[in-house]
Amino acid sequence: MTRPILIAALALAPAMANAQELVTRNRVGLPDAPNTLTFRLTAYDLYSSDPATSEAFEEMFRDFIEARPDWKIETQLQTGNIGQEQARLLQQTRAGRGPDCAMIDSSQLATFRDAGVLQPMNAVFSDEDVADLFPYVREAVTDEAGNVLAWWWFTDLRVLYRDTSVVPEAPQTWEDTREAALAAVEAGKEGILFNGGRWEGTAFDWLGNFWAQGGRLVDDEGGPVFAEGENRAKFLEAVAYYQDLVESGAAPRRVTSITDYDAFNAAAAAGTAAMFVGGNWQYGQMRNTLDPEAFENWEVSELPGPTADQRATGTGGWSIAALSDDPEKAELCGEIGKEIYAGPGNAFQGLLPTSEATYDEYDAYDGPEFDLFAEALQNGVARPGAAIYPEISNQIQILLGNVLSGTSTPEEALDAAASAVQAAYDRQ
Amino acid sequence: MTTTVERAPNDGHPAPWLAPAVLVLAVFYAVPVLDVARLAFSDATLIEPATGFSTQALRAILGNPALPQVLGTTVLFVAVNVLALQVAGLAIALLIVRGERRELPGMAAFRTLVLAAWVVPGIANGLIWQILFDEAPYGTLNSLLGYAGLGPVAWLSDPQMALVSAVIANLWQGTAFSMIVFYAARRGIDPTLYEVADLDGAGPVRTFRSITLPLMRRAIAVNTVLVSVQTLNTFDSILALTGGGPGRATEVLSLFTFNTVFYNLDLAGGSVLALMLFALGMALTLLIGWLNRGEARA
Repeated sequence: MTRPILIAALALAPAMANAQELVTRNRVGLPDAPNTLTFRLTAYDLYSSDPATSEAFEEMFRDFIEARPDWKIETQLQTGNIGQEQARLLQQTRAGRGPDCAMIDSSQLATFRDAGVLQPMNAVFSDEDVADLFPYVREAVTDEAGNVLAWWWFTDLRVLYRDTSVVPEAPQTWEDTREAALAAVEAGKEGILFNGGRWEGTAFDWLGNFWAQGGRLVDDEGGPVFAEGENRAKFLEAVAYYQDLVESGAAPRRVTSITDYDAFNAAAAAGTAAMFVGGNWQYGQMRNTLDPEAFENWEVSELPGPTADQRATGTGGWSIAALSDDPEKAELCGEIGKEIYAGPGNAFQGLLPTSEATYDEYDAYDGPEFDLFAEALQNGVARPGAAIYPEISNQIQILLGNVLSGTSTPEEALDAAASAVQAAYDRQ
Repeated sequence: MTTTVERAPNDGHPAPWLAPAVLVLAVFYAVPVLDVARLAFSDATLIEPATGFSTQALRAILGNPALPQVLGTTVLFVAVNVLALQVAGLAIALLIVRGERRELPGMAAFRTLVLAAWVVPGIANGLIWQILFDEAPYGTLNSLLGYAGLGPVAWLSDPQMALVSAVIANLWQGTAFSMIVFYAARRGIDPTLYEVADLDGAGPVRTFRSITLPLMRRAIAVNTVLVSVQTLNTFDSILALTGGGPGRATEVLSLFTFNTVFYNLDLAGGSVLALMLFALGMALTLLIGWLNRGEARA
């Protein structure tokens, strides 16, 4: 009985080995395929540390490349240090040493576009595809001539998470939030947590409070205006909101040391926090890590505004773009975005698609939380498409750290930030 | 038949022997430094290449209001670390030598344990200490302090304490290096001297002051130079631990350089700061060398 099994296994072995070799740690496709596309991707999908995710993407990439036997994709992995990686990618591309196709963080798209390194992928995306994108996404990925310079394939947003056993009703305003958080502190919890340390998440999560009042970071030419005129007052109001949360004890002082979203998951798992400002993707993470009973207590709502009618939330996500001027390679890059990431890849990971049609196409988006996310996205604001944004973000991180730790007053900190950003802008 | 006289390698001109080393140093060290100097006097950014000579970056960096604070933090961070690394390294080295002399079990394991911290990458070191310093109600160190009726301590959220925490993290990782240097130096001291001191009735403090310390001065000088430059260039563990925050409380010069290049995309400005780091490192080395010139000749 064992002998026929062994013979069958030996006969199948080469075929199985061949199938496995189609996706390796640095290649998708057969090694001797005549055409090569170099692709710099992130570690969140094909090479994810989560086996289920990497297996699902391996299958998608395998199907993709089997339909294109003349091609192989040489993969290059980006590290998690987004700012550094994206700066390096831009530098290499400018020097002619960049990959043919790459994942570009949505906040960096404008920098790449202004540098003139993005190649059109018009052959892949129809006018209908483009028209179906959310407006802020469409604006970011197309140029004035209507060329599709990148495909922003998923977006994300910031929401308020709350433990309904402590905070039953979703706070609608900043004042509601403060009161709910103080009541939670009375009940022995940390009232509200948010990113306040030195990293991009701090600036981005807080910016919703500035944008909710109609504040603008840059003008139409990309020059910094956040500390001028009406923007200045709105900026200071938003800083005062966070400062008041900390000084009143509604938020613990430790927020100035929080530099990742995992800290909120940990607090939710430990049952020590009543509310936190987090990303939509954390909903799925919490569902997978918390006890079902504990998870039932957690709900999401839109970020509170200065008034219930003034709302905004920062929207991020990743895009895929062709950096090679070879039209065939640009087309293949677009096809990877369209056939893998924007559709089944998004649905598998539960990421928020950037086009309305995808929500209807996949059952993965049937959960009630996606209705809330879709609603909140109506108030979504993307980071400005200006090369000065990274420095504005850096200065906001410094400003919030100084104000929340009591080192500076909001006015002093804003003046210092405005001066530093202007100096950097003058040098660009 | 002619007779050839064999010459020793050092009889002739040294150039052929030095050439490979000079070549390697030139290619891997001098050329990059010269390139950084070229970029410092240009208008290069990460987006646009240099278009010509310019002192604008130099003026912008020197006039940056954040620079004095960053330099102050750097001086404090380096000075405290260098002092603490010497004391901790020396103490552990002497402890191990003493333990080995008395044939105490576990000395090799202890040495390995100290060395284990040294091989941890800076980023990992920062992350490890970030977990330990976590100020959440379930944070490791604060929970331990809580059991003893102490704390909680604002390890990372208080600007002054955050710098102390950064020093502790660097100290934990860097002590092993000092320990190796001092351990080797201490083992090199003739044991007869200690036997004589013992016979003369010298106590441990007197022995340390009159034998160990004088004979280890050269090692201390060398170690001071090495750990000073090493600490001056430290940025990965701080990046992972605090990112330079809260505010700029833990932003040292090397991290400021990194931020200038990768946030501002200002390659010329970053190059000016890199040259500043290079100059500071060189000045520290020369100063320590000059202060210890007598020891070097000893």
